[in-house]
Amino acid sequence: MKQDKQIKEFAKQLLKISLENGELSAERVDGVLKSLEKNPPRHHLATLKAYLKLVAREVAKSTAVISHAGAISPETATRIAAQLSSKYGRSIASVTREDPSLIAGLRVVVDCDVYDASIASSLATLETALS
Amino acid sequence: MSSVIEQIEQQIANLQTKTVASNTGKIVTVGDGVAKIDGLSEVMYNEMIEFPGETIGIALNLEEDEVGAVVLGEATHLREGDQVTCTGKLLSVPVGKGMLGRVVDALGRPVDGKGNIESDETYPVEKIAPGIIERKSVDQPLMTGIQAIDSMIPIGRGQRELIIGDRGTGKTTIAIDTIINQANINKVGLASGDPNFRPVYSIYVAVGQKNSNVARTLGVLEEKGALEYTIVVSAPAADSAANQYLAPYTGAAMGEWFMSNGMDALIVYDDLSKHAAAYRQMSLVLKRPSGREAYPGDVFYLHSRLLERSARVNEDNGNGSLTALPIIETLAGDLSAYIPTNVISITDGQIFLETDLFNQGIRPAVSVGLSVSRVGSAAQVKATKQVAGKIKLELAQFRELAAFAQFGSDLDARTKAQLDRGSRIVELFKQPAFNPIPIEQQVGVLWSMQNNYFDDIDVSQMVSASDALRDFLVSRKESLLTAIREKAKIDDDLAEQLKTAVDEWKASFA
Ligand SMILES: Nc1ncnc2c1ncn2[C@@H]1O[C@H](COP(=O)(O)OP(=O)(O)O)[C@@H](O)[C@H]1O
Ligand SMILES: [Mg+2]
Repeated sequence: MKQDKQIKEFAKQLLKISLENGELSAERVDGVLKSLEKNPPRHHLATLKAYLKLVAREVAKSTAVISHAGAISPETATRIAAQLSSKYGRSIASVTREDPSLIAGLRVVVDCDVYDASIASSLATLETALS
Repeated sequence: MSSVIEQIEQQIANLQTKTVASNTGKIVTVGDGVAKIDGLSEVMYNEMIEFPGETIGIALNLEEDEVGAVVLGEATHLREGDQVTCTGKLLSVPVGKGMLGRVVDALGRPVDGKGNIESDETYPVEKIAPGIIERKSVDQPLMTGIQAIDSMIPIGRGQRELIIGDRGTGKTTIAIDTIINQANINKVGLASGDPNFRPVYSIYVAVGQKNSNVARTLGVLEEKGALEYTIVVSAPAADSAANQYLAPYTGAAMGEWFMSNGMDALIVYDDLSKHAAAYRQMSLVLKRPSGREAYPGDVFYLHSRLLERSARVNEDNGNGSLTALPIIETLAGDLSAYIPTNVISITDGQIFLETDLFNQGIRPAVSVGLSVSRVGSAAQVKATKQVAGKIKLELAQFRELAAFAQFGSDLDARTKAQLDRGSRIVELFKQPAFNPIPIEQQVGVLWSMQNNYFDDIDVSQMVSASDALRDFLVSRKESLLTAIREKAKIDDDLAEQLKTAVDEWKASFA
């Protein structure tokens, strides 16, 4: 229990070191990993796992994953990223992914937040409304 | 038909434009009815969350990097990685008069096989108790029908009176008697057509009990015609700890509906010891730090926020009330254990039942010395005050004297008279289970006691004498009983009538 907490605390410190101007820097993450490899901490594997989790969360926070059925222009993706950046007050990059199961439309995920404008989800809502 | 098509067209039109925003997370671990979730950054404490398969949970532990939630109902289909969604809503349950006569689970869903429940309103399971401004002090009686309680430990509407004692001392019986008595009073009052009559509706919350016990209680309520004024919320021992944790709050929400709508309700929590145990179990699985007797640190708040919801609301806000009878089971009569001390400190008094008394055949086994009602005497009807004013003191003195009288045979006349009186009162207060006595009959019997009509009756005949007197009053002096009930005090005229009636009875009772 207590050990768990210490590892989490340590991982948090590592994450802090990995930020540059409040944003995750690939270069710094690389540096942290190299240094850990050179001087392995007491619970190396557990520490790496905890650190990975925090980094993944940080990446998720600054990435808008845009799933789409049908084509989407790079301009649209950029516009969505820009709008979300201003909404969250931090810079958010976009990644696009084709997902035919959406039928048509878009689904955007930023960390925990899901913005669903797909036909598949609307149909699901309609289905529950009518049942 | 066409309206359905219009509706669908409308909904399809909405499809094109609507973006649904939601806050989600993923299950990290799930087991024992508890899920740890990564994500859900926007979730509120006590918010309802949605798992796959229309399964609902409540977020209880909001930690920095994880949310701990209890799953309500079946959780075996949930897997690591499953998506969980915030609903933005606090858990709510159906409320209203349509719930009366029904048995529901911790989520307010019917479990009695009597079909759907008509209810178009829901209340949140957790609610802020009425503020100090809206509250009014207790000043209307809530009659239990149990003579020892109504005369010595009177309860008022909006009060929180704890029923406490070891297993098998008659705690549940007292609560059920009180519910039956409300039904009896409701029937008479509603039939009288009195516009000022205020019925009392009851909610019985069964936590962690065996199904057979709940079934027995239901049977009694039905047989006594009390079920139609009662809602039963059942989270039996076979239910998950989460459901047992939730059931009292669900019952409270249903009670609050009556209170908020200007009506009076009574809620029984049977029992809060099992409720605390369910909470402890949940907390252990959620790995919350624990303290005394392995309960989590906030177990006090568990019961204080529940009992805070009972109140009497002032006239400007509808004049409703919610009276609570929480039940606590002690081990070997120990009132100093953690949960008993906590609940004693947040109630307005307690009815303490003693195993020794129960085993001696003194039932209900109310301990006069250790029972108290801190606010109820303001609500006691005048008639009872007039005939029962001194009884608690007389009984307490009797207990003291009785202990010491065992040693000496030469007692002075005054001591002997006190002992005689005391042992007769003890007999008078014996009362079988599920037979609440209307207040006017209680007054008739106690008046006779006060006026020495029982003094020459052998102590062993006291129970049958008081039964006979009540039978006589019911069958022969109905208008006198009605007058006592309606006037609620004994004036010269009623005293005269009582004297005539009891003289007549005494002559016939050999
Ligand atoms: N006043 C009473 N007279 C006779 N029997 C009683 C009385 N009160 C309770 N009992 C009996 O005692 C037993 C235990 O009562 P119960 O109310 O279930 O106790 P508890 O809830 O404290 O465990 C039951 O069988 C009940 O019928
Ligand atoms: Mg019981």
